[in-house]
Amino acid sequence: MRSLHINGDSVLHRLPAAVKLAALAVISLVLFMIDNAGFLASAALAGLAGHALLRISAAEIWRRMRPFALIVVAVALFTVTFNGTAEGLTAFFRLAALALFASLVTATTTTGDFIDVITRAAMPLERLGILKARDVGLSIGLVIRFVPEILSRYEVIRDAHYARGLKPRPVSLIVPLIITTLQSADEIAAAIDARGIRSQK
Amino acid sequence: MATRDLVLSALFAAIIVALGLVPPIMLGFIPVPITAQSLGVMLAGVVLGAKRGTISVLLVLVLAAIGLPVLSGGRGGLAVFMAPTTGYLIGWVFAALTTGYLSQLLVSHSQAGFVQTVNFFVAALFGGVIVLYICGISYLALVTGLGFSKAFMGSLAFIPGDVLKAVIAALAGRAVMVGYPLLPQRA
Repeated sequence: MRSLHINGDSVLHRLPAAVKLAALAVISLVLFMIDNAGFLASAALAGLAGHALLRISAAEIWRRMRPFALIVVAVALFTVTFNGTAEGLTAFFRLAALALFASLVTATTTTGDFIDVITRAAMPLERLGILKARDVGLSIGLVIRFVPEILSRYEVIRDAHYARGLKPRPVSLIVPLIITTLQSADEIAAAIDARGIRSQK
Repeated sequence: MATRDLVLSALFAAIIVALGLVPPIMLGFIPVPITAQSLGVMLAGVVLGAKRGTISVLLVLVLAAIGLPVLSGGRGGLAVFMAPTTGYLIGWVFAALTTGYLSQLLVSHSQAGFVQTVNFFVAALFGGVIVLYICGISYLALVTGLGFSKAFMGSLAFIPGDVLKAVIAALAGRAVMVGYPLLPQRA
């Protein structure tokens, strides 16, 4: 699983992750409060221009934004149809700007930096006794570790269907996948506790 | 939280991610492929119950937010939380919570198999369809300024598929309960 982070040394890469996240929150609030199509269009252009800092090709930018382009255009067309062209343009530029700015933060921040921010943000919750802040990083690591394993397990179950001349069906694929995966939970939990990974301090 | 519960939540989050990566599964009786990721959200509630199911969905969203392409179609990054459809992602959390809570409330080991399946279906339908669409449609209506009725119309086409997923979640949930029961029981 490759992260959407892009290596680089731009101004945005060097800013602390917490600052970028706070700025993104402020920007999104501003974008929602202002209804001026001209302002929103320049914001979208600024977000697009920011992608030049990443030193990636236009094709690569398009590949990253494509999943959002479809839904943004669909909503904009829907708005044009029912609420008029002016509102449709406003919606289009606002949604495009939001996606572009968010994509900039994602591209310039490493997974590790994000986990640090989340762990620090979780400290007040730890003081309240709701969760342990360090569990966040541990859980994220566990998920990343087990996705490839579950995918290969899925392929094994599917091939077992073919070997027996059965068509793979959702229930007969998913049930063995869930049971075999969750059965390993006890062993993994024992391994984590044996290494003292979750013990205090 | 016990280490086992944390591991179960993380493993289920990995299952939800994996379900977004496998090719869409064809159903036998209708020619429409279903993407399995939102099915995974219902399954999290049905199999793990409210608390652990909700945590596993939250984990998937955290992974997406920190830039990993864990959502179906390889989507990820903060931009998915700045899109008109973000309400559906936020709705996943409440969908898993409601499905899990209702599963714990309605289903017990002493019931007949058919009754368990029907109760799981009610839980998955209420959490994974009704609660999910309330979140998704409200967000779409507010963020785009479309208004509720138009946002509802735009989402209508996806509801039959999700009802079907609730059926699959119920069948699978009951089968997992027989094979490897994990759902916390209310005393």
